[in-house]
Amino acid sequence: MSARARRGAAAAALATAAPLALPAAASAHGLQGKTDLPLPTWLFSWAAAIVLIASFAALAALWPKPQLQEEHRRRIGRLPEWLDVPAGAIGIALFAVIVYAGFAGVQDEPTANLATVFVYVHFWVGMVIASVLLGNVFRSFNPWLSLARASGWVYARVRGRPWTPPLAYPAWLGCWPAVAGIIAFGWLELCYQDKTHPNIVAGLALAYAVVQLVGMTAYGAETWSRRGDAFGVYFELLSRLSVWEREDGVLYLRRPLSGAPQMPLMPGAVALLCAAIGTTSFDGFSNGSLWADSSPDLVDFFSNLGAGPQTETQWASTVGLAVAILVVSGFYRLGVRGMQTLGEGHTADELAGRFAHTLIPIAFAYAVAHYFSLLVFQGQAAGYLVSDPLGDGSNLFGTAKATIDLNVISSNTTWYVQVAALVTGHVCGLILAHDRAIALYRKSRDAVRSQYWMLVVMVGFTSLGLWLLSAVRT
Amino acid sequence: MNTGTRWAVLGLVVVVAVVAFVIAQSGGGSSSKSTQAPATGTAVKSTTTQAAAPKVIVVRNAKAVGGVQDITVKKGDQVRFTVKSDSAQEIHVHGYDFHKNVPKNGSVSFSFPAKIDGGFVIELEGPGQQIAALKVQP
Repeated sequence: MSARARRGAAAAALATAAPLALPAAASAHGLQGKTDLPLPTWLFSWAAAIVLIASFAALAALWPKPQLQEEHRRRIGRLPEWLDVPAGAIGIALFAVIVYAGFAGVQDEPTANLATVFVYVHFWVGMVIASVLLGNVFRSFNPWLSLARASGWVYARVRGRPWTPPLAYPAWLGCWPAVAGIIAFGWLELCYQDKTHPNIVAGLALAYAVVQLVGMTAYGAETWSRRGDAFGVYFELLSRLSVWEREDGVLYLRRPLSGAPQMPLMPGAVALLCAAIGTTSFDGFSNGSLWADSSPDLVDFFSNLGAGPQTETQWASTVGLAVAILVVSGFYRLGVRGMQTLGEGHTADELAGRFAHTLIPIAFAYAVAHYFSLLVFQGQAAGYLVSDPLGDGSNLFGTAKATIDLNVISSNTTWYVQVAALVTGHVCGLILAHDRAIALYRKSRDAVRSQYWMLVVMVGFTSLGLWLLSAVRT
Repeated sequence: MNTGTRWAVLGLVVVVAVVAFVIAQSGGGSSSKSTQAPATGTAVKSTTTQAAAPKVIVVRNAKAVGGVQDITVKKGDQVRFTVKSDSAQEIHVHGYDFHKNVPKNGSVSFSFPAKIDGGFVIELEGPGQQIAALKVQP
């Protein structure tokens, strides 16, 4: 897609239909030129079959003693902490550029403004994949954390003692502020009618940063970034799937999947992962024919309440998003209830927390299956956006004329990546659940029986994922 | 799990694998037939509509009559369709990024080779209303 051509066209359309200048908002992300084709039936059948086979094979063949409950890692070398200073500076600079582009750049064509494309594609999708491939890199580049650390350093230099947070972070709050943040971002991306307006994206990014800085000032930068910062917590959870771990300036290579079981038990962790899976599910679902057939009734309902033509779609999507998150949470809870019937004195809340980390690979698989093609195609927009971040025709590095190659991968490749992601996520979820069960239950018989329930949960999530991919309509 | 159960479950796995293979083969067989057959066109339904006459999308009150229309072709084939509208509109084919205007009570025809596979929205640019879904199978 050529952003230039689109912008010209959009300008032409603007003359006739000024108030609704963002027609692209009607499609999935408001940013895509190309959407995924539905998974073909034969691939769907194969994937479903492999999932079932893998599940039963896992029941029969997995190890009888826990292998992943303790961290197995090997020291690779030093990756000193001072490196976070330049990384943080890059993060802060990039954040400033994004916010500036959002306010000062073109507003009528979202794909021509760095702010919208960077936030929804490079940051939201790219960071998910980077966290798993490279480890918790967001922590080093996190602009608000870097800003808080820098302020803390200055404060300590001036006052001669470190900043003491005035408030103690309440344990019961867990990562619930992050849950709220993830749901809010999902709502912004999938429901909000003005989601592709660059100035709104920039304004919200700024507001988010301010909230984080307030939280960090009140409770301490470290505490807040591990509990309250939605992106900090989410990317940290995903990075537990990575083999790379960095601690106190040392880089470690850890046994695959041995990072996830170390996830701290914190209130809200299950909700956070269910919210992530639920928002991605709704994104897929809202592209399907079932939603296309059923949502007009919902839209009419809001229309009757007096909502305008765009607002009514927004509220219908909001209902859809809420239902998706509740269904995903409810389904996980069902599996937990099943496990609880086995006794050994575990409460439902305890089991939900102890198995929460098994949802990390599912959340990652869903994200890859739904957003991989967005990153591959729309991610190429970085080519022209680095030279023309505001969309005003400047050409800083001579690449402003770069275009997006929609043939860079074929639909076949997209399908295989989607299926591979879901099947791999499924197997990883099962392995993590199995390993936790044999560590948690005293009797191996109970451990095995608990896994029938987790099997139902995992097969359910993976089947839902496959079905969502096969049911998309363009 | 004791050895007996282990073998039982492994046996079950083999049974499921065989059944799945049979199902997938039959499914895969029929689908590969449908992908091989239309060397000249595409899936049967669209071949007839594509070959016989280009699809006509009728737009009334800035909406496609009969809902969003499907246009399915195979990569490399020619995409042909006509839009008739009771109002002046700009038609935008996403991805391929073709824009054409249709005058009030007039029609406009598109014909272009399907060089990119994937799904593409065809919409009325002004109101942002999708009128058709172009599906180019790989």
